[in-house]
Amino acid sequence: MQPARTTVTGTAGTGRRSTRRRWDATDLSLVAVFAALIAALAILPGIPVGPLGVPITLQTLGVLLAGLVLGPARGTAAVLLYLVAGLIGLPVFSGFSGGFGVLAGPTAGYLLAFPLAALVAGLLTLGVLRRTHKFRVVLLFLAALTASLLTIHPLGITGLMINAGLPLRDAILVDVVYLPGDVVKDVLAALLAVSVHRAFPRLLAAKPPLRA
Amino acid sequence: MRTHPEGRTLLEPLDLLLAERRISVIGANGSGKSTLLRLINGLLLPTEGTVAVHGNDTRTMGRTVRRSVGFVFTDPLSQLVMPTGREDVELSLRTLRLSSGDRRSRAGEVLRRFGIDHLADRSSYDLSGGERQILALAVVLATEPRILVADEPTTLLDLRNDARVRSLIAGLDQQVVFTTHNLDFALESDRTLVLDAGRIVFDGPADDAVAHYRQLCSCAPLGGP
Amino acid sequence: MRGFGATLGLYEPGRGFLYRTAPAPKAVASLACAVAVIAWRSPTTTAVALLLTFGVLIVGARLSPVRVLRMLLPAAPVLGILALYQGLAQDWLRAFVVVGGITACLLAARALTLTTATQDLLDGVVRLVRPFRRLGADPERFALALSIMLRSIPYLAGLFVDVRQAARARGLERNPRVVVTPLVLGAVAYAHRTGEALAARGLGEGDLDEDPPDDRTGP
Repeated sequence: MQPARTTVTGTAGTGRRSTRRRWDATDLSLVAVFAALIAALAILPGIPVGPLGVPITLQTLGVLLAGLVLGPARGTAAVLLYLVAGLIGLPVFSGFSGGFGVLAGPTAGYLLAFPLAALVAGLLTLGVLRRTHKFRVVLLFLAALTASLLTIHPLGITGLMINAGLPLRDAILVDVVYLPGDVVKDVLAALLAVSVHRAFPRLLAAKPPLRA
Repeated sequence: MRTHPEGRTLLEPLDLLLAERRISVIGANGSGKSTLLRLINGLLLPTEGTVAVHGNDTRTMGRTVRRSVGFVFTDPLSQLVMPTGREDVELSLRTLRLSSGDRRSRAGEVLRRFGIDHLADRSSYDLSGGERQILALAVVLATEPRILVADEPTTLLDLRNDARVRSLIAGLDQQVVFTTHNLDFALESDRTLVLDAGRIVFDGPADDAVAHYRQLCSCAPLGGP
Repeated sequence: MRGFGATLGLYEPGRGFLYRTAPAPKAVASLACAVAVIAWRSPTTTAVALLLTFGVLIVGARLSPVRVLRMLLPAAPVLGILALYQGLAQDWLRAFVVVGGITACLLAARALTLTTATQDLLDGVVRLVRPFRRLGADPERFALALSIMLRSIPYLAGLFVDVRQAARARGLERNPRVVVTPLVLGAVAYAHRTGEALAARGLGEGDLDEDPPDDRTGP
């Protein structure tokens, strides 16, 4: 066998991040793992909260986190990947459901709103993280709340009207029940996102040039 | 010397030609072993200087280099991405652009060659640590890279599985570069590098290197020479 | 969370004509079921869709009717509430149309994933995405992302269980932040490890044909 030749010369630092615009394997993996995180949060039993222990399911938390942690592009991609996986039949939606059937179900509007929610949350997050280091939790909470009020609730109500045949008033009443839980999830999402960005500061930061 | 924007130099300047069949790298945690291995297949790029494999620069020919250099990690679970072993081997074979029928039969051959064809359709979560590491080796070697780089491939294994993985590696045709904390394993190589704080402090035959390393951490066996 | 893949409703080996049918026609039939149910909301459509999906699963995958019903168990609470609401607020025929339609669609989707090996399903998705290559889609990377996602769900579910137990041990299980923070940080770290392992295998970096024009040139 021909002896292999490997030459190593020079100094090594952490010259990992390139300024390449194309996603590398880590970006791809982040998108995939966040899609899995949304699925895991949707499938797993809810966490009991507060003195009454009312369980909240965490699917929308996963969706908002994708935007707040990965930013608009990768965040939206993660949510789209999650939706595609569910639509081709993998039971990753709440209650172990999946398949094109959910498009006929009452929650179709909420599901279709998710990528938009991640997009809006991600765009707002980029604006916050690039501009300020102060009040990040409050600002990211507002980003999450804005995203869910602009996308998830209106589209969810529309879906209830079309697929479950509810009149507008009833649809709004059904939707409003979820609002307090959503505010809790928005707070949680903001707290989590700030922790993640502190632990992995390079996730959304403007990528530094390779050389000083 | 130039420093990285983050100001941390992981490996001091070095000049190496690695041509032996079995090369081991030993040293304390954080001494730069993993950095050295990651340089070889272009997972890390040097801030200064060049790394070349068979004349291909990892900076400009990264993909070509990665195709000829297989990399095995300490924890096989972070390496295996598909639900079952067979599918993971087929995923590796995708880079060779085979038809799906060819992929399937090649995957079967590879699993048989490594003696794990009976585990092919089990979830990688259901395998033992040793079986997982052998599967990770099969997955990486399926594309027949010319060099195998292994980062502490036996650290998470019990004694029996440690022996299994070591004998498997010993029987490979490929050039193998590995790191280990197991000095017996290091002795099975033709050449050993000892790293300390990002610097190569010894480079030579395995037994001399191991003796040097023992002295370095003042853990020479009592009554030794 | 071992064996989570089975409860995830993936492929289970078996016999019957569904297993011998290519993924594409099965996917088309599953989609057609959803379209039909949404487009024509009539009792007849729902009845036909329900009979067809039940019949095909029993004959084509050789399942007992009980097993088919058991596949619906996880979705039963939601379906039950919806049926009750529709029945009380409107009428029971309407409830049958809506809930029966959804049930048929769930079964049709399950028929596809039950009888198609994951790798074949992914190959099918890759073929489906291929025509969009010109618009910048990369079918191989898409399929890879999908399989990493599937692979990560059991890992994250196991992590979630561990983290909850750790929180309970500290008496903090009612604090969602304590429960979810390690899960999310663990997920990000896991993604980084997986990304590195993929890069090491030469996967997930886009087109495999050539080295990309690299802007990481040295001095």
